Order: sequence, then C-alpha cells, then structure tokens
Amino acid sequence: MLLYFIKRLAGAVPVLIVVSGIIFALMQLAPGDAVTMLISDEASEADKARIREAWGLDRPPFIQFLNFLGNALTGDFGMSFRYKMPVIEIVMERLPATIELAVAATLIAVGVGVPLGVLAAARPGTAWDAIASAFSFAGISMPNFWLGILLILLFAGYFNILPSGGREPWGLGVEHVTGFLIIDSILAGRWDALGAALKYLALPAIVLGTNMTGIITQMTRAQVLDALREDFVMTARSKGVSEARVLWRHAFRNAMVGVVTIIGLEFGMLLSGAMIVETVFAWPGIGSLLITGISSRDFPLIIGLVLVYTGMFIVMNLLIDLIYTLIDPRIRMN
Amino acid sequence: MRKATLSSLSVAALAATAIPLAAQDYTDARVAVATTETISGYNPYADPVVLMGSVWCQVYGCVTRYDFDAGEFVPYLAESVEAIDELTWEITLPEGLTRHNGEPVLAADIVHSIDYMGNNPGSGKSFLVSDWASVEAIDDLTVHITTHTPDATVPDNLAGVQVTSKALFDELGDDMFRQAPYGAGPYKMVEVSIGQHMIIERDDTHPMTTPNNPAQIMYRLMPEPEQRVTALANGEVQIAQGVPPQLMQRVRDLPNADIATTNSVEMMFLAMSPNTHPWDVLEARQAVVHAINREAIARAILQDQATILHGPVSEGQIGFDPDFTTPLDYDPAKARALLQSVDLEGVEVTLSTPVGRYTADRQIAEAMVPMLEEAGFTVTLDTPEWATLWANVQQGNVPFYYMGRGSMIDPSRALHQYFATGGSPRIGFSDPELDELLAAERSEFDGEERALKMQAAIRRLVDQAPAAFMWQHQMGWGVSKDISFQPRPADRADGWEIFVN
Repeated sequence: MLLYFIKRLAGAVPVLIVVSGIIFALMQLAPGDAVTMLISDEASEADKARIREAWGLDRPPFIQFLNFLGNALTGDFGMSFRYKMPVIEIVMERLPATIELAVAATLIAVGVGVPLGVLAAARPGTAWDAIASAFSFAGISMPNFWLGILLILLFAGYFNILPSGGREPWGLGVEHVTGFLIIDSILAGRWDALGAALKYLALPAIVLGTNMTGIITQMTRAQVLDALREDFVMTARSKGVSEARVLWRHAFRNAMVGVVTIIGLEFGMLLSGAMIVETVFAWPGIGSLLITGISSRDFPLIIGLVLVYTGMFIVMNLLIDLIYTLIDPRIRMN
Repeated sequence: MRKATLSSLSVAALAATAIPLAAQDYTDARVAVATTETISGYNPYADPVVLMGSVWCQVYGCVTRYDFDAGEFVPYLAESVEAIDELTWEITLPEGLTRHNGEPVLAADIVHSIDYMGNNPGSGKSFLVSDWASVEAIDDLTVHITTHTPDATVPDNLAGVQVTSKALFDELGDDMFRQAPYGAGPYKMVEVSIGQHMIIERDDTHPMTTPNNPAQIMYRLMPEPEQRVTALANGEVQIAQGVPPQLMQRVRDLPNADIATTNSVEMMFLAMSPNTHPWDVLEARQAVVHAINREAIARAILQDQATILHGPVSEGQIGFDPDFTTPLDYDPAKARALLQSVDLEGVEVTLSTPVGRYTADRQIAEAMVPMLEEAGFTVTLDTPEWATLWANVQQGNVPFYYMGRGSMIDPSRALHQYFATGGSPRIGFSDPELDELLAAERSEFDGEERALKMQAAIRRLVDQAPAAFMWQHQMGWGVSKDISFQPRPADRADGWEIFVN
C-alpha cells in the first residue's frame, strides 16, 4: 500500500511540471501585462522598464520558466507581483479558508444529496422521487453568484440572522493555530467563536454545496436504482430480508463506489466554483486570490495557485482510491 | 518670483481645536468601512489603490495633504512647504515630531522615503518623485527638493509621500513594513490581512484626532455592491464605499443609514487618437463631441449621479472656470455637417469600452453608439477584458475608447500625461500651442495666476478635442446614522473626518 502511494505521488511530479509549463505558456500568450496592471497609471515607460527588470520579465520566457521551475523544486514559488510577498506564504495563509469551505460544502452536499437520492431510488415514480428530482435539477441549474446574492439579501439583509460576508467577526480573538477557524475555536475551547465561525461559514458553504448536492442526488438515485435491479437484491428479498436492509446493506453499499467517484470529481469542481463563491462572500480563500491574481496578471501567484489546485486534485484522487478499498474489499491495490 | 507657501495654519488650527476636547473622554467605538478594492500588503509604496494610499497616510503621515475646505494643499507632517526659488522647494519639519514608537521624525526620513519611492522595485509610485533633480537633508528638520524645471505640482506629489523611518529601514529592510510599521500619522497600524482587511487605531496624542473619532477603523474588502449595502443595513459596517446609482434609493430607505455623495474627481472621457484615421481630422473629433448627448446619458443611465463636464475639470479643481461652457455642445446636425464637410460621412470606427470598471460603462457605451451613428459614424462596439484593453491603451493601440482618469484635484499631471506632446502613447496627441500653455501653468507658483493659465490650456484642449469630456461620477457612500461622515472627493475615508455620534 505504502509503495503504491509513493509511486502515485512520484507520478504527480511530471504532472505538476507539465501543468506549470502549460500555465506559463498561457500566461505568455494572454494579452495584458502585469506591470501595467500593478503600478500606477501615471508611471512612465522608464518606471515600467525598471520594474519589468526587477521582476525578471525582461528575460526570454523560456529562461523565466526555467528559473521558476528551478526555484519551485526547492519550494520557492517566487514573489507575488501584487502583494510583494512569497507566493507560498500567501497561499498557505489562505488555503485553510478554502479547504474549510470546500469540506463544509461537501458535507452539506453528501448529507443532503445521498439520503435524498436513496429516498428517490427507493420510491421511484412517487412524489418523493419528483421532489428529489426537482430539488436536484434546481441545484444543478442555479448559478452560484445568483444564489449567493439572493441568500445574502435574504438571510443577511431581510432576516438579519447571518453575516453578509467575510470569515470571522472583528475581534474574535481566537489564535490561528491551524488556520481552520472551526478547529482553532475548538482547540481554544471558545464555543462562542465556534458559533461565530459556523455562522460565517453557513451561507457560502450552502451556496457552494448546492450544485454538488443536485449532482450527488441524481447520481445516488441512479446507482441505487441499478443496484436494486441486480440479482443479489432479488436473492436477498427472496430470503425474506427486510426492505430497509436490502436498501441500505445491499443496494446502497454496492452503489457507493460510483457515488464516491462522483464526490471526488465534484470536489474538484467545487474548488473551481469556490472562486465565484469566495468573491461574492468576500471569503479570504485561494479562489478569490486566484481571481485577483488573474485580473492583475500576477504570474507567480497564478502558477503557484494552479499548482496547489492540481496538487489537491491529485491528493483527492488518492484518497478516493483509498476509500474504494474500504467500501469494496474486492478492490485491491498492487 | 513669488513664493508659494503651504500654510501651516490648518494643522495649528486642528491642534488648537483638539486641546479643549482632550479633556473629554475618547470614544472607544469602532467603525468598519466596506471597500471596493483589495488590500495589497504592508508596503505603503506598493499599493496602487487610491483609498489605501490615504489609509497609509493616516498611519505614516504624508508630507502634505489636500485641504478640501480650504481648496489647497497644506502641510501634513511638515510644518511648512515652500518654494524658495524657481527650482527649489524647502520642507521644514516641526520640532519634537515623533513616531508611534517614540522615535523622532527627521529630514533623513523624508529623503529616504523619496529615494525608496523613486528607486526601489517595491515601489509603484516612482512617478511622483522621479522627475526631481535632487533631494537633500539640509539639517535634521529641513529638506530641499530641486527640480529640473519650475514645477508647481510638487505639493501635490508630496501628498503621496508617506514618511517611513530610515533608521528602521537600515535595520530591517523591507521587513520594516511588517515588523515595525511605526508612523507619525493620526492612526496606528494594528493589523493587515492581505486581500481581506486592514485595522488602524487612533493615536490619542496626535493633534489631528478628536475624542469623537473612532478608536479603531477596519477597512474591509467587500467587492460586491449588494453585499456592501446589506452589510450597512444590518450594521456589519458603518460606511459603504461605492454604492452604485441603482442601489442608492435602497440605502436612502434604510432606517439606520443614508447616502452621502461626493464628486469622484475622475474625468470620464472619450479618447480619440490623432495617430489613426479618422481621428487625425479635427472635424471628426469635434463631431464626436457634438454627437454625444451627455445630459441624456447622465439622466437615464447614471440617474443624475454625475457632473457634466465642459472641460476636464469641475468645481473644486484647479483651473475650473464657472463661466466656461464648451462650444462643442450637443448638436447631432452640426456633427453630421462637420463629418460631411471633410467627406467622412459613414466612416467606420470602433469604440472600445471596459466592462465593469466604471459605473455603467458598458451601458453608457451602448447608448453612445446610436448617437454616433446619427451623426454619420458607422460604429462597432468593442468590449475587451480590462487587462487587455488597459495594456493596449497604454501602448497607444486603441484609437477610440471610453475611460476615466482619477486623482485630478490638481489636474496638471493628468493633462500633461494625456495631452502634452510625449506625455504618453495613450492618445498620442501633439499640439505645440497646448504644450506651451501647459508648461506655463506648471511653472506658475501663484495660485490665482496658475488657475488662469490652466483655464487657457483647457480652452485650447476643448477646442482641439483630442477627447470628448463627458462627466465626473458622483460617488455614493452609504453612511450609518451612528456616525457623521461627509465623504471627500477622490475615494477617501480618513479617520479624523469620521465622528461617532
């Protein structure tokens, strides 16, 4: 098992190099210029040339890329043009916020989508099935930014029960040990802070998880329906096993491999969706950071963030492979 | 040679008014300001955002500042700033001025700050100081700035110079900005969270603060206007920057807040580069100015939240003439006649506009298209992404575009940049007569004389029409009824101008 993971992680290195090469090439091809975006519009051509030289943008692109790659292998992703800080430092400061949001959204999506999908599959053609389908299609169809603004107006504006944005109230006073506010609040024994963190997390997590909820509902329904038509289910029923046991122990368990796969894939999609949600809710994660980086052509920051996203995809795929073995003992890793 | 002196009276007056108030209890109220643009980091010279520049001035103190009530630049950290001859400006620091850590503010700090701004790659504001010939500390409290040519804009430029500590920089280098952000301004730095918020705290000993100024201010990034207004409504923030026209009524209807508006001091204009046809023809450029019904656009799209421009400036800016109206008024028939006179009726042009950069920019450009076509142009509307458009504009590759230019309380730098020969490739305009008039205003140190010379330059500029001047947006600020705050032009929310009720 360990050897398998080492092999998989080693295989990720060329993937990361290729991805960084593609992003670097795309950045070179994209119109616009970091210097014009990041210094005052009053700067002279001489000022721009000086800054271009300082940032290494006056060198041939291939040399720039090799320099980046050489430094990246030592863990140095360069300095952000915009923030004038090491990229790795900025990313590590913001990454916990995105992971916390993505995990919360996934928990909501799984917690709602899986039971709803099973319920729809257990009673196909009924009102429950129709409600589940309508709910899931609505979730899939609604754009994140629209739903986000709508919920802000409703819960922050009209009902005034949740904050409109941000990640924590002013002066929360919880030391950021892990960067995950929920964990840090628990570690500090600050239940008021935990409550505040959950209130700030609620709306963005719901918005981010809505699309995923719809997809998981549909996928679970289809997988469980397929499983319910299998011979082993008929055998179980003929042996007098209760319908609940047939559904959860036999059909659902066999359907889980497909559901877990889609959860893994959707987790990746969820990270890209987080860019919009983080912007709408002023959530200080790497998604909104990437949007800022792209709009200001902050190349080191963009490449650093894309590599982080790629790394997260790779790790997520590894985790899913691990979960397969737990769900289905027939799957073995050699 | 008349001496130009920035009066130290305003600082003294502020200090005087602070003395009787010092006996009062200082409020411990905190105020949150929802801002539209991100917070870049700890280096005050690296942040290109105008509002953040003013926040850094509150922390470090800048050499001068613009007094909106007096309508002139006045000393801020300095005791006086005056031109002692045509090419030399003298800055004098007050005795006993200290930073928040107790260290004295010295002339060497100003020299160091200007040197950093001009030469360090970490600075994005070198344009403010790079044209100066030399900067020298005469003694601990006196600095001389020498310019190559007479330059009346020096006080304006000094308003952007945050004075950081040379001693701390020598000890810590760039880490000083994060580890020791000690300034001599009315507020102290408490916390910076990149891209999220910045918190500053009142210095009760500073002469510019009063007991009613907030104890702490958080500038908090909220990019979405709906979110800023909602946060104002539910009390999360007390000031919301950038309330767009369509949300102003909603704020007015709130029980706990109201709208305050102020001029953006940002000229919105249609640029026409004479390096490309048909903009090399004066009549074509003038036809554009005649073609656009600015009043209709301001009324219908901007909901009257705009000040119509007859030139590049409006009331409160240097060079504004209340009696001047543009001779190129809205007259589509005259526009068509002008185009016919030079045989350009039906000429194809492409109008480029950013989307989402300025208030209702795309809608405005879309409204302009039929107006231009009525005048005889055949128009294609181009809406590139901002980074692409901006890079091309800066290289002089966009012949006809709608855009804004801010930071124009003193319009000299902007007018030179856009309309003087060699100022920049953005329009590529060249007119020797205008160059002469612009040079004359810049070398005039007497305020009244300079205003007259600026007016002469503006009249020539309007007549030659390298740009059609449109309007300045009225910027909406949502303000909680728990505080008193009258926003100033040019995106400022300074702590000493916020009062807790």
